[in-house]
Amino acid sequence: MVSRQTILPDKNPPLQTVYDAVLIGGGLHNLATAWFLAREHGMKSVAVLERNFVGYGGAGRNTAIVRANQRTAENVPLYKEALELWPVMTRELDFNLMFYNCGNMNLLHSEAAVKAARTNVATARFLGVESRILDRKETADRLPALNMSDAITHPVHGAMFHPPGGIVRHDAVVWGLARGALRQGVHIHQRTEALGIETKNGKVTGVKTSAGTIRTPRVLVSAGGYTAGLVYRMTGLKLPVSVLTIQAMVTQPLKPVFRHVVSSGAYHVYANQTLKGEIATGAHMDPWPNTTTRTSAGYIKHQAEALVDLFPCLAGVKFMRSWAGLADMTPDMAPIMDGNLPADGFYINCGWGYFGFKSSTAAGRYMARYLAENRCPDRLAPFALNRFENHRLMGETAAPVLYTPDN
Amino acid sequence: MNRLEGLPTLRIDPARRIGFTYKGYTRHGVAGDSVATALYAEGVRIFSRSMKYRRPRGLFSLDGICANTFLTIGKMPNMAAETAALREAMTVEEQNVYFTARNDPLAFLDRFDRFMPAGFYYESMHKPAALWPAAAEVVRRAAGLGQIDSGFRFSGVCDEIYPATDVCVIGGGAAGMSAALAAAERGVRVILLEARHWLGGAFDYRSQPEEGDRPLYARSAALAEKIAANPLVRVYTGAPMVGGYADNLVTAVAEGKEDDPFDYRYMEIRAKSVVVATGTRERPLIFEDNDRPGVMLPDCALRLARTYGILPGREAVFSVGHDFGLEAAVALADLGLPVRAVADFRESGHDAGLVDRLAARNIRFLPGWAAYRASGVKSVTGVRLAACKSGESRSFACDLLVAAAGLSPVAEPLVLFCGSPEADGSTGFFLPKTYPPGVFAGGSILGFSDPRSRIDSGEKAGIRAAGFCGGDSSQEAPEKGGAGDLSPPPNAAPVWLGHPGRESKRFVCFDEDVTVKHIRQAISRGFNVPELIKRFSAAGTGPGQGGISGHNLPLLVHAIQSESAGCGPSDTAGNTGYRPTRVRPPVRPVLLAAYAGTGREMTKRTPAHDLQAEEGAVFRRAGVWQRARYFSQDLDVSEEVLAVRTNVGMLDASTLGCFRIFGPDALSALQRVYAGDMGRIREGRVKYAAMCNHDGCVIDDGVVIRTGENDYMFTTSTGRAGETIEWIRYHTRYENLAYHLVNLTDGTAVINLAGPRARDVLEKITDADVSGGALPFGGWMDFALTGGIPVRCMRLGFVGELSFELNIPASYMAHVWEMLRRAGREFGIRSIGVEAQNVLRLEKGHVILGQESEQRTNLIDLGLDFLWARDKTIRPVGSDALRQAENDPGRLKLSGIRMKDPAVVPPDGSVIIPADGPEKRIVGYVATIRKSLSPGLEGDVLGMALVEAPWAREGTTLAIYDGESPAGSDAAFSYAVIVRMPFYDPEGKRMRM
Amino acid sequence: MSLLIQCPLCGKRNGYEFRYGGEDKGAYPEGRELSAAKWYDYVHGSACTEGVVKEWWCHRLGCGTWFTIYRDTRVNRQVQEPQESARQGNGRTSGAGEIP
Repeated sequence: MVSRQTILPDKNPPLQTVYDAVLIGGGLHNLATAWFLAREHGMKSVAVLERNFVGYGGAGRNTAIVRANQRTAENVPLYKEALELWPVMTRELDFNLMFYNCGNMNLLHSEAAVKAARTNVATARFLGVESRILDRKETADRLPALNMSDAITHPVHGAMFHPPGGIVRHDAVVWGLARGALRQGVHIHQRTEALGIETKNGKVTGVKTSAGTIRTPRVLVSAGGYTAGLVYRMTGLKLPVSVLTIQAMVTQPLKPVFRHVVSSGAYHVYANQTLKGEIATGAHMDPWPNTTTRTSAGYIKHQAEALVDLFPCLAGVKFMRSWAGLADMTPDMAPIMDGNLPADGFYINCGWGYFGFKSSTAAGRYMARYLAENRCPDRLAPFALNRFENHRLMGETAAPVLYTPDN
Repeated sequence: MNRLEGLPTLRIDPARRIGFTYKGYTRHGVAGDSVATALYAEGVRIFSRSMKYRRPRGLFSLDGICANTFLTIGKMPNMAAETAALREAMTVEEQNVYFTARNDPLAFLDRFDRFMPAGFYYESMHKPAALWPAAAEVVRRAAGLGQIDSGFRFSGVCDEIYPATDVCVIGGGAAGMSAALAAAERGVRVILLEARHWLGGAFDYRSQPEEGDRPLYARSAALAEKIAANPLVRVYTGAPMVGGYADNLVTAVAEGKEDDPFDYRYMEIRAKSVVVATGTRERPLIFEDNDRPGVMLPDCALRLARTYGILPGREAVFSVGHDFGLEAAVALADLGLPVRAVADFRESGHDAGLVDRLAARNIRFLPGWAAYRASGVKSVTGVRLAACKSGESRSFACDLLVAAAGLSPVAEPLVLFCGSPEADGSTGFFLPKTYPPGVFAGGSILGFSDPRSRIDSGEKAGIRAAGFCGGDSSQEAPEKGGAGDLSPPPNAAPVWLGHPGRESKRFVCFDEDVTVKHIRQAISRGFNVPELIKRFSAAGTGPGQGGISGHNLPLLVHAIQSESAGCGPSDTAGNTGYRPTRVRPPVRPVLLAAYAGTGREMTKRTPAHDLQAEEGAVFRRAGVWQRARYFSQDLDVSEEVLAVRTNVGMLDASTLGCFRIFGPDALSALQRVYAGDMGRIREGRVKYAAMCNHDGCVIDDGVVIRTGENDYMFTTSTGRAGETIEWIRYHTRYENLAYHLVNLTDGTAVINLAGPRARDVLEKITDADVSGGALPFGGWMDFALTGGIPVRCMRLGFVGELSFELNIPASYMAHVWEMLRRAGREFGIRSIGVEAQNVLRLEKGHVILGQESEQRTNLIDLGLDFLWARDKTIRPVGSDALRQAENDPGRLKLSGIRMKDPAVVPPDGSVIIPADGPEKRIVGYVATIRKSLSPGLEGDVLGMALVEAPWAREGTTLAIYDGESPAGSDAAFSYAVIVRMPFYDPEGKRMRM
Repeated sequence: MSLLIQCPLCGKRNGYEFRYGGEDKGAYPEGRELSAAKWYDYVHGSACTEGVVKEWWCHRLGCGTWFTIYRDTRVNRQVQEPQESARQGNGRTSGAGEIP
């Protein structure tokens, strides 16, 4: 029953026998895709299937950092568009997504890190995204709580500063999109599991679910960490994905301590202070596959060590809660967005690792376009699955990744 | 206030006064007080104001389940005063108040609660769009509780220990102590963790019910004595468990007592089995204004009196639903607290003895009644009690309203091990149903209430835990965990939340000011399971982490949903969301200082580190090492570079990996991991070689020599040294190859002696013949330095000069370093660092992995295909990828570049765009670029770049963009041309001297 | 998580002493030239099984041995070699009572 008050459907609508598109996974990417299918392509006969409740997976667990300072020219435009969509979506959904444009500071701890940041900065600026390198003094000015001493494990050389980024309230995005999609007539089926697909002559014809079978010519699987396993079980297609458990934690709420999103590659830590005052931080991953969402004893300790090194005043602050979610990582730290494989009408959107939130709106928009027009949008072409087979890794990470044996 | 005296349960020493300041004024408590009890004894009733509605908040519980008593202590914010031990000279301040907690100018916000429904911030403050950024700043400042100064420095001492044990018992009450003793009696080691600073748990402050003539506190004291005497039990008090992890790993953080050498100690306990005996806490009763100062849990009221000697009020009314509530009323009345009425919402089933005692003390007892509304603005002045059935009601004046709806298990530690709890129809508790191996529970947490069965249950858990660990004479050796065969008697009491009524003032969560009305609003918007309702309403998301809302939330949600569904509150079948929200560590808040512990950092140094430091070296981290990067404070390496080009320089290269591989299959192993043909290494010759991964990406390079039959030595980069052995073994793991690998890195010091005078220097410190004939370029030789120091010397050309790479045993390094400096003085020898080497090798077009290579570049892209033996019998790792990719016309290629204008040196990492042609996109980037300092290069600016193949041809002009200015203007770009490498001494004459 | 792994030489040790070496896919395929598809399948393709997987691990901070174990990725614990029928880890992740 969808009323003006409704944000999430408290009961599922009856499962139709036919839908124009079935989106498997009730997270941010599919909710955004559903929204854009209805809004930009007039395709409203859409079912979103969610095995648990909307927001159960990464959508409800991420630390909601947004930025557009990636390393490659293929990635930056997608994230740039996503960043620019936050105020637009706030208006279109009439829901306060609470985009806090506080800027991102990526700390640099060596000459090599400054060089690497230079490539990001130059790429970003070339593509119209604001980003620049700060020296030690400028970094210290922006982060008065930062320890600039040489005696810490990784002394600070400077920072890559990205003014357009910040944080968004992740729950707001999930609920705003869900409500928006519902109002467009999209069906959201919670506690409904996709069990398999049906094909004929190499074309998708339907989806078997725990609530019945649906006929549809289009199926999109975008279920975060569960995608690759599900795609394999449904189609036999193997994806180059390692699903890792990623952890995060928050402190008790405090009055403002620092303004920017701060990250450090050398310390493997990021931290941002939410609008509730909690300092959210993360995000180690044990480098072997898991679908558990339990945390580990060691990481909350390592996180405290890193934060106390970088921001000594935080020694007097307490951790309140830790949690974990799943990050589906690819060998080149860039997503896989592809369609019509292994059957026509079968689409995949996954491999977003721990950066799926940042791109959710734009990824949803382009996947919607892909499904509606049945032609791969130019912006998505570089993210095809066959880049791995063709030995054309994306370049988002300079070093080989640590979660495969290939390093 | 004068403390009650002569109570055998007191844990304070009234004779020892402790002075502290509160809001700038000197106050006093006594030894054993927490900050909250000391303040309470001094008459403080309003400790803080709530976050959203600015409602006054007071002492509600003594176990830190909410933020009511959060104060700033010693400049540390958000300290829970009720669990913080009072120490001499503490400075205690209110926090998050404008003026004082007593008189808050924002208190009027409480009247505007209807404008702040659940989730109101999602639907406000975003229109017009320009409003939000300003609103966000206001929200930021209003949110948050305490404040931490950016200049705050933690001055305490933090420690960490990692004990292992057989059984870890969590909870030092009667059940926990019984479990510990039972396990120890069976010969297994036990660790007992207790959050409070003494053992005894819930018995500690209770006299009744008595067994024989022993009050409960005496029984727990007797158990504690036995514990202390048992050598197999290690006890940690003041050490609450904070985390429980797979395979029974337990973490706890201990607060140091006055004579401990630490303030906080992180404990990570590796236990074979765990017994959870954490008991129960009271479930808050919901009524109008149930959050007023003056409302507190019965357990809190009784402990104030019996543990701290503080009579909690002047006149009290009780509203309870459990026997302990009645017991507390009787006990407090006996201590002198006037009790006007005791309401118990149970119609029947009360402990008859307690009912009699209430009657004997003339205390009005109202079965089937409960609190309806508290009155009083800043604190309780009275209460309206109402009958549950008839609607009859009566008001009473009081300044203390002791209220609870019954008991809930302190289940969080158990849930961390077992997973989600479920509603137990018998006890009304939410408890896990299945336990993983080695996890046991005992005591009141399972629903046992009478003392005998609590002790028996704990004992049983201890026996089973010991059996799991292989302890002797175990009655059973269970493979599974569990609660045991003892079942608690069914709880006949209804699981009840409280009277319905004005929902906007009935509080479900104190920290986030969430009321019954908010919960209803959330449900009406489609959030239909506690997890979602928690998120939308914020209930349980504050510092208390569900301490107040915990088990009430699923009960309330179910009650509201049942109204519309038309089923009774006991119908829970099929609703898998009917449980408290997910429990996560830490189950107590933990200071970052405590988790950070001793915070010791270690790096590795070479034996010449101190000598280099004396010479003015500037060090940088290289993986786990410290390496000298520069030898001048201004980071200018010109002199170092010139020294190598014109005289001689010396570089510490000890961090490079050095390995020996030997055995019948040593060569096969090398052939598998190296791209080249290691079978073609000639006698006395060094072979430059590279290792690739399956993608063909070069992951390491180094040199290989053959030192004997089936005996080789090879080098690796600094970063790979730790991975090499496992890499080689990994890629030969399916074959039964016979070889041994020895990591000689830490035992081998390496000094690179390079420059035209290098041989002159070397000849001064050895008698061996190191002439070009005896030791040619690309060769190696073992000989001895003065004093008989063995050296393996290789002639390589990394920096493009005559050079000798001296491999010596690490213990001789400092001596040889000084020997070389002395010998080289007349030739102007200089120590050089990693950056000088960087420049020198750049001029030769030599690759440093990770600088000119990255994940996208394979061996061929780097121009290193000469290192690949395509037709080797044993196919090396990566060869298939190389072969498949070699005709791809669009890959990045390593190229030499020279800037057109030698006055411009773009920063490393700048991106490359084609200067000519229609395509204006990024086609590569500059890896390393420097103004050349070497003779013959005329100050050209030379670099190495990765450029897409079509633009990597010699003579192509490239535009370079560093991102410092907007890309729109022409001035933003500098220009370079692709040139052949090496730049310096292309024929390689100098390194062949 | 606090993974414990049974090293064949050293016994049960803290999981962080070990290095993960990927799913056991057998030895690198024989044959003079591997096709790109076969290469991708061996090197990158994964079934991403939610359940018991056979994996290679190396006791890197100990004896350095490479060995295989069976691990249930749903709960991150080493398990005994499963019977054939139980090998397909097709199960859900969390349910009531299961540690998610």
